[in-house]
Amino acid sequence: MLNAIRWAVFALAAFAMNFPLIVTLVTSFKSAREISTNPGLWINAPTLENYVTVLTVSDRLNIFLYLANSFAIAAMGTLLAVLLALPAAYAIVRGRFGEKTLLPLIVNLRAVPLVIFAIPIYMMFQFMGLLDTRFGLGLVMTIVNIPLVLIILVNAISDVPFELDEAAMIDGVSRPGILVKIIAPVIRPAIVTSMIFGFITAWNEFLFGLMLTTSKAVPVTVGASFFFAASGGGVQWGVAAAVMMVGALPPMLLGLVMYRKISGTMMAGAVKG
Amino acid sequence: METTHRTEWTLLATPLVAFLLVCLGFPAIVNLIYSVSEISFETLRNPQISGFGNFVAVLTDEAFWRANWFSLRFGLLTAVLECLIGLGLAVFLAPLFKNRSWPIAILMLPLMVAPALMGLMYRLVLHEFAGPVPHYLWAWFGNSPSFLGPNSAFWTLIVVETLQWTPFAFLLFHMAYQAIPEELREAAAIDGATGFARFWRIELPLMLPTLAAALLIRFIDGFRVFDNVYVLTGSGAGGSTTSLSIYIYEAFFKQAAIGKAVAASVVLFVASFMVLYGLNRFARRRRR
Repeated sequence: MLNAIRWAVFALAAFAMNFPLIVTLVTSFKSAREISTNPGLWINAPTLENYVTVLTVSDRLNIFLYLANSFAIAAMGTLLAVLLALPAAYAIVRGRFGEKTLLPLIVNLRAVPLVIFAIPIYMMFQFMGLLDTRFGLGLVMTIVNIPLVLIILVNAISDVPFELDEAAMIDGVSRPGILVKIIAPVIRPAIVTSMIFGFITAWNEFLFGLMLTTSKAVPVTVGASFFFAASGGGVQWGVAAAVMMVGALPPMLLGLVMYRKISGTMMAGAVKG
Repeated sequence: METTHRTEWTLLATPLVAFLLVCLGFPAIVNLIYSVSEISFETLRNPQISGFGNFVAVLTDEAFWRANWFSLRFGLLTAVLECLIGLGLAVFLAPLFKNRSWPIAILMLPLMVAPALMGLMYRLVLHEFAGPVPHYLWAWFGNSPSFLGPNSAFWTLIVVETLQWTPFAFLLFHMAYQAIPEELREAAAIDGATGFARFWRIELPLMLPTLAAALLIRFIDGFRVFDNVYVLTGSGAGGSTTSLSIYIYEAFFKQAAIGKAVAASVVLFVASFMVLYGLNRFARRRRR
């Protein structure tokens, strides 16, 4: 009996939390005519026309460009963050380098509203010609990702037995050699987790995308809002819904593949944060 | 020997430190200089130091304090709501997750969606003609409020934010709850503690550190909210939903008031630094 109530509560919570996703999914399969006569949760005549429209859309609203931008920006923001954080994490754990200063400083960065850096970054980018480039936004995503990536990697390296380092040192392997040949392979799961986390975070970012891009490097979170303003009359809700589904799908898929890892990582981030 | 080690470690950490100095340290300095300068888009390269006029302008701007007040209320309310609901779900539904994890995957799905997209989705959900919520409210009750109007926008945004981020709090509490040793619960059961008493006396105290962390993280995220509020109401709804992040964004991009925007950034920077410094000291003392 109690378990039946539990399932009911679960169903209610899942429905409420995922409600906008359900509505958007349903709407994306409705024709414009059906949306105006039947805005409810039931589809009378399912159609793929919205997705066809989205994927063949004009050059003014180019979903493929937005998706490619988001992918490039997120990939760069993730890879660069790991490349920078991995050696630093190694130095922090094994060399106790900046353990009391650098690490807390970067960890606390997670709690600083990044909007306070937005204006000088905008001006810097204007000066260096990085406005509206994937590279520029990729750099910003690297900043955004570094704190959590560093926390994950520091935790992972702390768990690697020191004997592994020692054995390699006796064999005459250099520090960078140990990092590349011994540590990195051992903590590969943590590296993958941090990359997936970073990718999702960067894909979903909006504020810097809005400020630093105008056309060439627009990411999908910003591009999706263009579909709400497009085409004179009202919003084409079916098309907008299809765009939102396409934009939300990649991180959702990654999340579903990874969700067992994700709760653990969040815990680690929360404890340190 | 010791010094060569030192150099080696320093070299390994140098790329990260250099990157952060260039990408964050430099902007921070630019912020400080511009905040005490006469500055416009024409004079970006040679700011004229002019004292604290920008700070005076910000601190006497009623809109700045309104934005602060919005962010504070928004952060506090959503953090408390998310943690209460998340904790309730994690504890009450715990037996469902014993041997299966797919229900957790369903609950955490909203976390994967960009808050900006989630906000846009609510534009559809709440739209007076195309949205299901007004549709059903009209059908069932013959009335539907204007969700994003000046009177209800604040609460609509609270609900939107809470529904998306409750899963975050839920996940943390779920992990903390699973980490409580089974023997403790059994011992409590033998001592006759049941249901609520067991939760109140044993489980909740053990989860208090998680609760504190979850409240803090959610408060910070709520305080600096931008994405979903911006796409849902912008600075509309009579300016009643301008968060501090939106205030800074608009001062810069819409009013071209660079000095004001930068001064507001510095104020926010100092405030968050002080809060974090205090929290860190507090946490360190607790650990001792």
